[in-house]
Amino acid sequence: MITKLKNAKIYDPINKINGKIIDLYIKNGKIIEKPQRSEKISKTINLKNKIIMAGGIDIHSHIAGGKVNLARLLLPEEHRKYLYSSSDKLRSGSGLGTCSSFHIGYKYAKLGYCAVFEPAVLPSNARSAIIEMSDIPFIDKGTYTVLSNDDFLLKLIQKKTNQKKINDYVAWILNSTKGLGIKVVNPGGINAFKFNQRELDLDEKNINYGITPRSILKTLTKSLIDLKAPHPIHVHGCNLGVPGNINTTIKQINAVQGKPMHLTHIQYHSYDNKGDKKFSSGANILANSINKNKNITCDVGQIMFGQTVTASADTMSQYRNHHFARPKKWICADIECDAGCGIVPFEYEDKNFVNSLQWAIGLELFLLIKDPWRIYLTTDHPNGAAFTAYPKLIKLLMDKTFRNNELEKINKQAQEHSVLKNLKREYDLYEIAILTRAGPAKVLGLKNIGHLGNGANANITVYNNLKDKEEMFEKPFMVFKDGNLIVKNGKIQKIVNGKFYTAETDFDKGIEKEITSYFENYMGRGIESFKIQNQELWDYGIEIENIKCNRNDY
Amino acid sequence: MTNINFTCPFCSLLCDDVQLKIKQNKLKPINSGCSLLLSSLKKNINEQFSRINGKKTNISEAIKKLSLLINESKSTLFAGMGTDIKGTRAALDIIDKYKCIVDHFSSGSYVKTLKSLQETGGFFLTLSELKNRSDTIIVIQSTGEEVPRLFEKYLFPKNTINNIKKRKIIFIGSKSPKFLQKKKKLINFEFIKLESVNLLNFISSIRKFINFKSLKTKDKKILNLLNILKKTKYGSILWSASELQEDISDIIINEINLLIQDLNKFTRFLGLSLSGSEHILTVNEVLLWQTGFPIRTSFANGFPMHDINQFSTVKLLNNKEIDLAIWINSFSEKRIIINKKIKNVLIGIPSHPQKNNVDIFIPVGTPGLDHNSHLLRIDKVVTMPLKKIRNLSLPSVEEVLKKVKVSITNDN
Repeated sequence: MITKLKNAKIYDPINKINGKIIDLYIKNGKIIEKPQRSEKISKTINLKNKIIMAGGIDIHSHIAGGKVNLARLLLPEEHRKYLYSSSDKLRSGSGLGTCSSFHIGYKYAKLGYCAVFEPAVLPSNARSAIIEMSDIPFIDKGTYTVLSNDDFLLKLIQKKTNQKKINDYVAWILNSTKGLGIKVVNPGGINAFKFNQRELDLDEKNINYGITPRSILKTLTKSLIDLKAPHPIHVHGCNLGVPGNINTTIKQINAVQGKPMHLTHIQYHSYDNKGDKKFSSGANILANSINKNKNITCDVGQIMFGQTVTASADTMSQYRNHHFARPKKWICADIECDAGCGIVPFEYEDKNFVNSLQWAIGLELFLLIKDPWRIYLTTDHPNGAAFTAYPKLIKLLMDKTFRNNELEKINKQAQEHSVLKNLKREYDLYEIAILTRAGPAKVLGLKNIGHLGNGANANITVYNNLKDKEEMFEKPFMVFKDGNLIVKNGKIQKIVNGKFYTAETDFDKGIEKEITSYFENYMGRGIESFKIQNQELWDYGIEIENIKCNRNDY
Repeated sequence: MTNINFTCPFCSLLCDDVQLKIKQNKLKPINSGCSLLLSSLKKNINEQFSRINGKKTNISEAIKKLSLLINESKSTLFAGMGTDIKGTRAALDIIDKYKCIVDHFSSGSYVKTLKSLQETGGFFLTLSELKNRSDTIIVIQSTGEEVPRLFEKYLFPKNTINNIKKRKIIFIGSKSPKFLQKKKKLINFEFIKLESVNLLNFISSIRKFINFKSLKTKDKKILNLLNILKKTKYGSILWSASELQEDISDIIINEINLLIQDLNKFTRFLGLSLSGSEHILTVNEVLLWQTGFPIRTSFANGFPMHDINQFSTVKLLNNKEIDLAIWINSFSEKRIIINKKIKNVLIGIPSHPQKNNVDIFIPVGTPGLDHNSHLLRIDKVVTMPLKKIRNLSLPSVEEVLKKVKVSITNDN
């Protein structure tokens, strides 16, 4: 059965199509080239005056795992504010920032997103997180496994183990935890906090292992390149949220010496400490550095005003920030000799100097970083805001008048500290398509999504062409997932499940001998119960798609 | 006869180092003396019939009857909920659709920990952090009965990653557990004897002297503990809500959580709650991710409503707020409350002693014995995989409830 979508304007940056009217054909869940005349077209949908992009891809959104459930546990009052009733087709649920699983799927689908990546899965929590994700319908998913603070790796680096063996360990972790990528979180810092170190800059030594975040970062960056992993190292750097951390962020960029690195939620890592409040924007400095260093990609982690909750594996930073908790309660945890987690509720206020400047810094970064292929749209959901704020964020990027009006509303001193009002840039639809689908697909090494070319999965979002971009992106006219019409005019039509992407790597099995003995001696459980088997995931109806580690553009 | 590796489902430690000897579906541990494991495996399964009003029937009839009861019910409670991840998901599928209420066997004590967490938060650690990093472990009034091998495996390990030489164990409570007494010579052990009524004051005093350094005391117990706390580099506090004095247990737990927060101002200290029989933590996690709320939640209005007081099983039964109670327990023979004024259903293991006393009984297997399963460990971080090891053709809770759902849908 072939469906034809005709007369829509197509924005498909991977195939260099910028607003041209082209007909699309869907067959068996894929986009195909124009069929032969002999082939029957079963259905034609006239989409005159509509706009089509590939299904959206969120490269960094905390949608599952222990930290999200802890946040749900901590904040029943937040969940009571957002209650969703069940219906014939849909399950009930609650919450916004830490929305319950079914409704994460419903909400993303309604926004026209078809793939979302959970960026902080601790190795010990991977099985729980993936099972939880099997209850998020519609979207394709994948995870980045957190390394850089586990005692096993730190010992390897301390002993100056050769890179090959470390690569075997990284590959083993990817395989065993079914990760698509590897995430570095405050390298060595979470571990150092377990030894009561409260800060750790890039060149400071972990008091127990005597190694620096720089050495960990360099080693893991190299591993991912050597493994030809689909996605380069995904880095949440040192000193998150600390005024003056811009210096550390720049040092981190220099530390990888031109090798590919993805810097995540850079808004939280772009703070200078100038001015009477010792807090100022470092966006210009970072943007200049990223503009120069073509090896760097990033996502922003924009904050939007309102109540949210921050959830991170970075226990050191979250503990430091617990004083800002609103409401006044927080949870931290040290986890399984591999990392930790911290949950701190936050309310970002537009009258507060720091929050206002954070908001402006995020937007400055979006506007000052020139190459849209290397910057992606995120709010670090739910840390900066829930992903449901994306349409408003897109409007802020596309509409200078709206942006300047919003700027007028924030804290006056913050307005004066920001260059935002002088930035004239307005994103166009082609660039938004890069930020929200083409760019993420490219940096994740996923060839079947993020575009509308021949052979792509038929993940298609059809928008009404509206002047108000928030309205336009908030309620797509139609959303197709693998060829199925899942949303029409904001209403869910049919429930389907997405795929689960994992990286397929090879490694020397000899590494398992040492890990086996590590588990037996220290971990209180065996290696076999750590390794996730495909069958376990198939039992939950999860469709696994292995992405080969054969990236050749590093 | 074969020997197999086994992951034990009977408490939330989920030990995977157990070897079993299997002979004609009889199971015997070779390398574990765990009392809970031994007693759990001793149960004889002589027959596995479903029952309606005590009379044997086949499972299809029982499922059909149960689906009719759910259809007729104005208010259904899923109680007990001794099941695994898949069983909880299948239950919630019905609970949500048919506007039921959900509670658990162990929620009475668990909600005390939950209440403190919802009000204060906390600073927690997982089992391998406890095992490898703690130089001081404070056990508050907990015998560890719900997790029998905790002390052996995690408090007295042979090896630790960073070679902790001699850890200090402090037991605060009315009676020190036998196990700790036995190990007294091997470890640096302190017993602070306190009746539970004095426990709250004691912890509050410790907090006071930590937070107000100018205050002085001559109380030796307090001075001694303060001295230990100051020297601690990485401490843990373990408690078991079910063993604290019930009427003040929520306040005690809150004081423990606040004490941990106070201690982290200058050193590292973390907590671990030891309560959680019949896998309440597993059920709670699934509830949280699927609905946004923990145990004791009602779906009567079509969306989740969570209230730790209103939706307790005992309260709902006493106040006659339900007309159907569906009890689930795939792990043990724990007694259920049967109220003859309402309909009672038990989905339980075949040897359950109350199977003739309920309106419908449907036998199910045990996760990790009769079917593959996933359960969460006590620290809520690690989900353990469990494998089927015997062939008794007993269905899982998930299989039964999925059929029930199909049957209700067909009835409509």
